[in-house]
Amino acid sequence: MAVVIDHLYKAYEEKDGEMQYILNDLCLNIEKGEFICVLGKSGCGKSTLLNCLTGYLKPDKGSITVSGAEIHGPGPERGVVFQQHALFPWRTVSKNIQFGLNMKHSKEARAVAQKYIEMVGLTGYENKYPLSLSGGMAQRVGIARALANDPEVLLMDEPLGALDALTRDSMRKEIERIWKLTEKTVLFITHSVPEAVYLADRVIILNRGRVQLDQKIELERPRNINDPKFSAYVQQFESTITGVESNAVITE
Amino acid sequence: MAKTKQAVSYKTAAARKAKMDKYYKIISLIGFFLLWELFGRINYQTLWIQPKFLPMPSEIILAAYTYLADGTLMTHLGISLYRVLVGYIIGVIIAIVLGSLISTIKAFDNILTPIINLFGPIPIMAFLPMFILWFGIGESSKIILIAYATIIYMISYVTEGIKNTDPVLIRSAISLGVSPLQLFFSVKFQSAFPNIFLGIKGALGTAFSAMVVAEMMGASTGLGYIIVFSKNWFKMSDMVMAAIVIGLMYSVIFGILTVAENILFKWKMDSVGSAVES
Repeated sequence: MAVVIDHLYKAYEEKDGEMQYILNDLCLNIEKGEFICVLGKSGCGKSTLLNCLTGYLKPDKGSITVSGAEIHGPGPERGVVFQQHALFPWRTVSKNIQFGLNMKHSKEARAVAQKYIEMVGLTGYENKYPLSLSGGMAQRVGIARALANDPEVLLMDEPLGALDALTRDSMRKEIERIWKLTEKTVLFITHSVPEAVYLADRVIILNRGRVQLDQKIELERPRNINDPKFSAYVQQFESTITGVESNAVITE
Repeated sequence: MAKTKQAVSYKTAAARKAKMDKYYKIISLIGFFLLWELFGRINYQTLWIQPKFLPMPSEIILAAYTYLADGTLMTHLGISLYRVLVGYIIGVIIAIVLGSLISTIKAFDNILTPIINLFGPIPIMAFLPMFILWFGIGESSKIILIAYATIIYMISYVTEGIKNTDPVLIRSAISLGVSPLQLFFSVKFQSAFPNIFLGIKGALGTAFSAMVVAEMMGASTGLGYIIVFSKNWFKMSDMVMAAIVIGLMYSVIFGILTVAENILFKWKMDSVGSAVES
């Protein structure tokens, strides 16, 4: 198991002496190399879950184990890709990707950065600064920066949330390709249902701080969004999330 | 085929416009001095103002030439430059160190911030008599005053800059495995640096004021001293000359800082998002 989340509780406040748990007895196991997408309504706890996994927040009860070791706080074995890419604006593309390795005084920093620049398709942009990049390109740098540190798990917090529809579509394919190449374990937060069905080995739907649905996606990759089975998954998840049978909600 | 108007990109057009703007500014300066000279020459005939009190640019140039010829200008300029640079650089270093400590270690914040807030609002010049009594009329009292002026002006730029580091940058750095020291030097300080540099540039003005005041009270050298000395002998052109040299000195240092800023913060210029075409 790459990640074991064991009976996790997290509350931000209490009411009448009772803790208001955002994560309420959440259990989840993720296998090595698995691509997990977490879906759920706003307030279901998916951001809190991610913040506990990254280590920015400490759980009240329960534990998170990554490759056999319990986590306490943030660490380089868990790479994070942020929605707002969070690149260092004063560092070039290449220097941003080298950041983690530079901090370890690694001699291979430059070579490793070059490898990931090629992998994410940013050759020629090595010496550009983040402010001159488009949203999609900046997010590629963010992914390369997380990968260059060779983490065991990649945690992605709605990485495509700030992109336009077309870029989002091509980035989705890019992420799938990069994931296959690197064989990393990925936990991907999103609120686009079709995106989750397209990317995930397993979709997790959270509700009131618990796993409401844990569903394997049995479709061949690359997935065809026009496949009736694809639509069936989308419809199933949408009705689970909204609690309504008909597909009266337009997602994405 | 008729010759069509050559296509010009926004960047090229902006560069051309900037060049023209530069010429206009130079023309404005030349015009100002010509008008001044003209007014002075007419004034000699009409005597609106006692001509002794309104030197013309030509007289000022003559004064500068006399000072240059006997070497006194360079001596005074040298000593002023020495005082202002030493005081300013010491001040910048202390402000950066103190500001960094205040913004990262709570104990320093609790101890130093109230003291800085107590002394901060007092005009710097009010301290000069005290500094002269404490540190003597030699170089140290002047340099300390200049350093003090620099620190008081700059320190909030350092603390605010560091405190305003985008939390998401801190988060991402921590997830990439930085140590607390690396987090400070590689992220917080870097992110605050543009703001700190703003403080460095602004503090140059206060450092210069402190220098002039220090030289006007209890000094026998320096450009500030020339101003007081000339006042006593009604040598208006010497006085104006000294003032202009101070201004030029300031502009040269400020220009160097601006060049340094453009090199250091090249990453800011790279942005398309900040352009407003007109």
